[in-house]
Amino acid sequence: MLDSLIIGAGPAGLAAAVASARQGLRVRVVDEFYQPGGRLLGQLHQEPDGTWWNGLAEAARLQQEAVEAGAEIRCGVSVFHVTRQDTSWIVSTSEGVMEASMLLIATGASETPVPIPGWTLPGVMSIGAAQVMTNVQRVRVGTRGVIIGINILSVAIARELLLAEVKVDRMILPAHSVISGDASHPVAVMQSMLRIAHLAPSPLIRMGSKWMKSTWMQRLGTALYPSRGFSMWGIPIQLRTAALAIIGVNQVEGVRIAHITPDGQPVSGTEQIIPADFVCIAGELSPLAELAAVAGCPFAYVPSLGGHIPIHNERMQTPLDGLYVAGNITGIESAKVALAQGTAAGMSMAFSHGSLRDPHVLSDSIKQIEIVRNNATLQFHPGIRAGRMQVGLMAAERSL
Amino acid sequence: MESHRVIVCRCEEVSLADLIETASSYSCTARELKLRTRAGMGCCGGRTCRNMLDQVIEAVTGQKPDHAVSLGYQPPVRPMSFQLLGGRK
Ligand SMILES: Cc1cc2nc3c(=O)[nH]c(=O)nc-3n(C[C@H](O)[C@H](O)[C@H](O)COP(=O)(O)OP(=O)(O)OC[C@H]3O[C@@H](n4cnc5c(N)ncnc54)[C@H](O)[C@@H]3O)c2cc1C
Repeated sequence: MLDSLIIGAGPAGLAAAVASARQGLRVRVVDEFYQPGGRLLGQLHQEPDGTWWNGLAEAARLQQEAVEAGAEIRCGVSVFHVTRQDTSWIVSTSEGVMEASMLLIATGASETPVPIPGWTLPGVMSIGAAQVMTNVQRVRVGTRGVIIGINILSVAIARELLLAEVKVDRMILPAHSVISGDASHPVAVMQSMLRIAHLAPSPLIRMGSKWMKSTWMQRLGTALYPSRGFSMWGIPIQLRTAALAIIGVNQVEGVRIAHITPDGQPVSGTEQIIPADFVCIAGELSPLAELAAVAGCPFAYVPSLGGHIPIHNERMQTPLDGLYVAGNITGIESAKVALAQGTAAGMSMAFSHGSLRDPHVLSDSIKQIEIVRNNATLQFHPGIRAGRMQVGLMAAERSL
Repeated sequence: MESHRVIVCRCEEVSLADLIETASSYSCTARELKLRTRAGMGCCGGRTCRNMLDQVIEAVTGQKPDHAVSLGYQPPVRPMSFQLLGGRK
C-alpha cells in the first residue's frame, strides 16, 4: 500500500511529493491534466527586480526532483470520490481504486467569472482558459479580444497574451449586476490595483500609487481617471468603462460598452459597440475543495482566503485522520506560497509516518511558508494573514 | 434589466432572472434555491454556478454563507461512466 497519495500535481502537490519521497515514503501523485505542473504551466511574469518567473521551467524542475526522489506521477487520472476505511484512504479514480494510509488534497483553485449577457457565446472564456490555451496548448485564442474584469490575475495574463502576440484591445469592468460585487465598482477596483502598482512597468504609475494612500485621494484618482484609460505595456486599462453585453450570433462579434461613473453607473448616451472575436472574463478564484467535502472534512468560511477552506493546522493536517491539504485549497495565494506549503505538508506526512529523522526540518518548513509569504510579489488579498489566523483558531478549537 | 437574461446554470439552463425572482419571492436559503430552480443540479455538479447561487442569496436576502458549505457535494465529483462506477473498468 502507498504511504501517501497526493491529488493534484501543481506546485503544492509536487513539492509535497519531493519532500515526503526524500524522507523514504512510498508516494504517488495523480492529476487529471495530461501534464504535471498545475497552474504553474501557464505562468510567465516579471518580478519587480526584472527577473522572470517561468512556471513551465519550475514545473519541469519539480517533476524531475519528485521522480528522482522516488515518487510516482500519474497524469490523466481524475479522482471522483474519497472515503476513509479503517486505517486507510480509499480513492476512486477514472483509472480505478487506489489505497493509501495518508491522503494530501492539493487540488488548487477554480475561477468564478462574473456572468455577463452573452457570456455563453463561443469565443467567450475565462481568463485562466486563455492562459492555458496560449501558454500551454499554444493555440491562438483569437485576433482581437477584450478582457472584462481588471484584477491582478487578468493584468498578468493580458501581458502573457501580448508576449504571444495576441491583440488585447482593452481591459474594462463588467457592468453592475446583482452579483457583480466590487468587480464592477471603479473605486474598489482602483484600490485593489494600487496594491499591485509596484509591479507596473511605468514609473509614473508606481509613483502615483505612493501618493494615493487615503481613500479620498483614491476616489479623486478614480474620478480623474481618463476615459480612454492608462496603458500598461500598450494595453488600455479602462476603469471607467463597463461591458454591458457580449454580442454575436453564432460566436463573439463584439462587446457593447458604456462609460461609467466612479460608482459604476452607466452614463447615458455613451454606449457603443466595439469589435472583438474573443472575450476573456476575469473573476475571482475560489479553493477547489469538493474532495475535502465528500471526505467529510469540516470547513471555515473565510472570504479573504477565497471562500470555504478545509480546517487545517500549520502542519497542514485536517481534523480527519491522515487527511492533509496544501496549496490554493487552503486559500488563494501565489505559486511560491503553494510550493512552500507543499514542502511543509510533505514533511508533516513524513513526521506522522515516523520517518522524519530530524523534526526541526518540519518546523523550519512551516517557518519558511511565512518567509515566502512576506516576500511574495503577488499578494492576492490584503486580509490573508487575518484569514489564516482564523482558520488556525478554528483548528485549535478542535484541538488539532 | 438586461443583465437578467443571463444564463447562470448552463446544464439546467437557469437564468439569473429566475434565480433572483425565486430568491426574492421565497426569501430562501441557497439550498432551497437550488432545489426550486434545479440550478447546480445538472451533470457538472454545480462546478461553475455554485458560487453564484450563494452570491444571489447574499445579494437578495442578505444571508451570508456560514462555515458549513451551503450546497453539499455529492460523489462522483466528476462525470463518470456507469461502466466505471459499476466496476467494469
Ligand atoms: C487561472 C489561474 C491563474 C493563476 N496565475 C498565477 C500566476 O500567474 N502567478 C501566481 O503566483 N499564481 C497564480 N495563480 C494562483 C495559483 O493557483 C497558484 O500559483 C498555484 O498554481 C496553486 O498551486 P496548487 O498546487 O495549490 O494548485 P494548482 O496549480 O491549481 O494544481 C492543482 C492540480 O490539481 C488537479 N486536480 C484538481 N482536482 C482534481 C481531481 N478531482 N482529480 C485529479 N486531479 C485534480 C488539477 O488538474 C491541477 O493540476 C493562478 C491561479 C489560477 C486559477
